Amino acid sequence: MEGTAASVGMTGVAPPGSGALGRRQRGRLDRIGDRSLYVITLAAALLSAVVLGGIGYEVVHGASASISHFGLGFITTNNWDPVPPHEVYGAASFIYGTAVSSFGALLIATPLSIAIALFLTELAPRRARTPIGTLVELLAAIPSVVLGLWGILVLGPFLRDHVEPGLHSVLGWIPLFGGDQSPVGLLPAMLILTIMTVPIVSSLTREIFLTVPKESKEGALALGATRWEMIKTTVLPYSRPGIVAAVILGLGRAIGEAIAVTQVIGGALGIHANLFVPADTLASRIASNATGAPTALNLASVFYLGVILLALSVIFNAVARLIIRRMTLKGS
Amino acid sequence: MEAASTPANHPLLQGPPNLKRRRRVNRALEVVAWVSAVVAVAALFIVVASVFVKGVGALNLDFLTQGQVAFGPGGGIGNALVGTGIIVLLAAAMAIPIGVLVALYTSEFAKSRSASAIRYVLDILNGVPTIITGLFVVVLIVKPQGHQSGFAGAVGLAIVMLPLVARSTQEVLALVPSSVKEAGLALGVSRWRTIVSVIVPTAFGGILTASLVAVARAAGETAPLLLACSIFPTTTVTDPSQAMANIPIVIFQYSESPDPSKHTQAWAAALILILFVLLLSSIARVFSARVKKRLEGTR
Amino acid sequence: MKKHRLFAAACVAGALALTVAACGSSSSSTSSTGGASSSTTLVGAGSSLVLPLVSKWVPDYAGKTDPPVTVTYGGIGSGGGIDAITNRTVDFGASDAPLSADQASACDNCLQVPWALSATAIAYNVSGVDNGLQLTPQIVADIYLGNITTWDDPAITKLNSGVDLPPTKITPIYRSDGSGDTYALTDLLSKISPDWKSQIGTSTLVKFPVGTGAEHNDGVAAALGQTDGAIAYLGAAYVSTNSLTEAALQNEARNYEEPTVKAISAAADTVKSVPSDNAISITAPPASAKDAYPLSTFTYAIVPQSSPKADALKKFLTYAIDPKGGQTFGPDLLFAPLPAPVLAADKSTIAKIGS
Repeated sequence: MEGTAASVGMTGVAPPGSGALGRRQRGRLDRIGDRSLYVITLAAALLSAVVLGGIGYEVVHGASASISHFGLGFITTNNWDPVPPHEVYGAASFIYGTAVSSFGALLIATPLSIAIALFLTELAPRRARTPIGTLVELLAAIPSVVLGLWGILVLGPFLRDHVEPGLHSVLGWIPLFGGDQSPVGLLPAMLILTIMTVPIVSSLTREIFLTVPKESKEGALALGATRWEMIKTTVLPYSRPGIVAAVILGLGRAIGEAIAVTQVIGGALGIHANLFVPADTLASRIASNATGAPTALNLASVFYLGVILLALSVIFNAVARLIIRRMTLKGS
Repeated sequence: MEAASTPANHPLLQGPPNLKRRRRVNRALEVVAWVSAVVAVAALFIVVASVFVKGVGALNLDFLTQGQVAFGPGGGIGNALVGTGIIVLLAAAMAIPIGVLVALYTSEFAKSRSASAIRYVLDILNGVPTIITGLFVVVLIVKPQGHQSGFAGAVGLAIVMLPLVARSTQEVLALVPSSVKEAGLALGVSRWRTIVSVIVPTAFGGILTASLVAVARAAGETAPLLLACSIFPTTTVTDPSQAMANIPIVIFQYSESPDPSKHTQAWAAALILILFVLLLSSIARVFSARVKKRLEGTR
Repeated sequence: MKKHRLFAAACVAGALALTVAACGSSSSSTSSTGGASSSTTLVGAGSSLVLPLVSKWVPDYAGKTDPPVTVTYGGIGSGGGIDAITNRTVDFGASDAPLSADQASACDNCLQVPWALSATAIAYNVSGVDNGLQLTPQIVADIYLGNITTWDDPAITKLNSGVDLPPTKITPIYRSDGSGDTYALTDLLSKISPDWKSQIGTSTLVKFPVGTGAEHNDGVAAALGQTDGAIAYLGAAYVSTNSLTEAALQNEARNYEEPTVKAISAAADTVKSVPSDNAISITAPPASAKDAYPLSTFTYAIVPQSSPKADALKKFLTYAIDPKGGQTFGPDLLFAPLPAPVLAADKSTIAKIGS
C-alpha cells in the first residue's frame, strides 16, 4: 500500500502547508475546482438525459398529426396508401414484418447462441476458448451495411437459386414456404438478423454461464452425471432468467435494425404467412419513407412508426434490465 | 452448495444408470455445441471472405485517392474516405469527453439513486434504434440549418457512441482501486485534483479502449448518416458544415446499383471498413485485457 | 504519465474548435471550391430520372463558370426533392412530378421550371424475350393491379404473335420511395384505366397491390436484373446504360413506340401553351401525335422564388435549359430538346427568381 501513491505518479503533488500558496488560497482554489468539476460532470450527465428526452419528444411531436388523425387504430390497420383522397396509414403490416423477422431470427439464434456459450464455457479446450470467443464476438463488429451488401449480392441470389426451391418442393405445403422464390423478402432479412444477434446473445449467455456456482456443477458431476446432464440440471436452470434477458436484448437489437433489413426485404406491404415474399419492417419503412413523403400526414405517419419502434425498444430494454437486476440481487 | 440432502427423485439418482444411452445423448449434444460454434465462426469467415475476395481486386492507389463518378463506371472512394475520417473524428471529439465526464459523474459525484438513474438513461440511449437517432438529428440540426452536413452526421454518430464510452468508462473507473483514491484524499489533495491527476490517468488505458470500440462502431453506422449526410458532391469536402461523402453511405448506394463495377467498388470499400473495424476491435480487446490485469494487480 | 494529458487536451480542444467552426460555418464557404462567397456551391436533390443528365452538367458547368461553381446533386427521388426544397435543406429540388396544390402551398412561393424532357420506360427481364415486346398501357395497369400474373397471358401473347412467351410469373417492381417515374406511370394509367384511377390514383408514392419495392432508379434496375420474370418502370436513360430490354408501348394512335428522342419529342410537340404554374402532363398524348411515346414526362427544377442564392440559381438554370448549353448532353441520354413554348415559359419563370 505504501508504494501505491508513488506508483500512480503522485510524487508531483506538494504536501499541504508548503509552497507559495497559502493554505487558505489553496483551500478556496480546491473548493472552486471541486465545484467546477462537479458542475461539468453533472452537465454532461444531464446532457445525456436531455438528448434522450429530446429524441422521445421530437419523435412524438413529429407524429402528432398522425396520432390525432388515426389514434390507436393505426396499430391494427394493415394499409399504407399515400394518395389522397383515400389516404390511409397503418402500422400492422410493418409490426408483422418486424415480429416475424426478429422473432424468427431469435428462434434460430437462441439455441445456436446457447450451444455456442456452452461450447465456450464447458466443452472447448481451454486454450481455444478465448480465440473462438473473440471470433464469435467479432461477428458483431461487422457493420450492418456490409451485411446488407452481402445479403443483396450473395445471400439473396443463393437463397433464390438453391435454398428456396428446395424448401418449396419439400416443405411447400407449409404456408411459410409456399411462395415462389425471390431474392428479397422475410427469409434473407431473418437470416441476416440472426447473424447480427448471435454474438450478442451468446456473449451475454456466456457471461451468465460463468457465474454458475462451481459447487453446483461439481456436485452434479460427483453424482455421476454426464456433462450434458450436469448442464441440464445445474447450469441451464440457474441461467434461465439471464438467457431470457439476453434474448430480449437480442430482440431489441433486431427490431431496431434498419439498414441491412431495408437492403434485403423488398419494401412491400402486406401480411402473408409466406417467408419468400417481399415485406417490410418498422425500421426499414422509416428508412425508405423518411424523405420524400408526398404529404404531411404521410410524414407524420412515418414518425408514428418511429414512436411505436422507440416504445418497443425501450420496453424490451427495460424488461431485460429488470430481469438482470433481479438476477444479480438474487445472486448476491 | 446447499447442505440439504438430494431428494430421491433427483434425475441423477434415477437408476439403474443407463450409461450407454446417457453417454450417447451427451456425445450428441457435445457435437451440437461444436457444430454451433463452427457455424458461427464459419458465418464470420464466409462474410469476411466474400468481402475480401470480391473487393481486394479493386483496391489500388487510384481507387483510394480518386473521387466518385456521379453516373457511370469508374472513379474511387477517396472523397468518402476523407469524409468518414472527418465525421468520425468529429463524433469522437464530442462523444469521448462527454462520455468520460458522465462516467465520472456516476462513479465519483452522484449519489446512488442519481447514479442509477443516469445509468438507466444511458442504457435506454444505447438501445435507441439508430434510424430514430437519424430522425432526431434531422429535426434538430438539418432542418434548422437548411442543409445536410458532416456535422449533423457527426452528432448522430456521437449520440450512438456516447453510451458505449460512458458505460465502458464506468466499468474501468469501478476497477480503479479505492486505495488509490483514498491515498490521494489522505494526503489532503482536493477531490478534483484526485480525479484529474490520479483516477483518470489510472483508468486511462480503459478509457482509450472504450474510445477505440466506440470509434469502430461509429465508423460503420449508416442510419444516422442516411438522413443527415447522404447528398454530397463527388469532390473531396473538408468543411464539416457541408455534406460530405462517407464510406457507409457509399457502400449503401452502390449496393443498390445495377452496375457490377459499382458492386466491386462497394465490396472494396466494405473491405477497408471491415479491416478498420476489426483492427480497432482487436487492439481494444488486447489492450483491455492488459489494462484490467494491471488494475487488478494494484489492488 | 503525460500522454493522458495530451489526449484529454486534444479531445477538449478538438471538441471546442469543431463546435465553434460548425456554429460559425453556416455562413462561410466550403474549402473544396476555394471560393470566398457561398454562391460558388449549389446543392440540389431529387429526381433520379434527371440524374444522368445533371451529372453531365456538373463538370461542364464548373468548367464554364469563373470562379467555378460546384453543383452537388443527390438523386434521392422526386419525392425527396420536393421534401428537401420545401424544408429548404437544399438550394434547388428536382422532380418529374409537378407540385400538388398542398405541396405548392407548403413550399411557400416555389417556382417550377421544366428543365428537361425525357420518358419513363417499361423494362422487363424474361428469359428468351428480346427488346421491343408490344404492350398496351391497359396491360401494364392490369399487371400492376395483379390482374395479369403470367407472361403467357393471352392479353400479351395476342399482341406478340412472333414471340415465345414463357409461363413465368410476372413480378412487378415499383419504387418504394417518392418517385417522379411513379407519378408519370400513375398519371398515364389513371388516364386510361378508371379502375386504376379509383383504386390507386396518381402520386409520387402509391400503394401498389402486388410486387416488390426498390429505391431509386438504380435500385429498380438492380432488382429487375435479379428477378426472372420481372417488369419495371424506370427512367429511359437507365435502360441503355444497364443493357435492359424495354417494351414498345401502344399510344393513342395505336402505334407501338419505344422511348426514343423522336417519340418523346412527338409527345412534347402537343404542348401549345404552358399553364401559369408550368405543370405539364404529356402522358397519353392525343392520336394526332402518331409517333408519340405515351409515357413521356417533363422534369422540373423547383426553386424558391426568393433565395439567398438567386443569382447563382438563375445562371445555372439558364445554362441547363440552353439548347447550346446543358441541353446538348440530352439526346445521348434520351432527353429530347425542350419545345419552344416551354423554353419561353422557362425563361420568364427564371426571370422571376429574386433575392
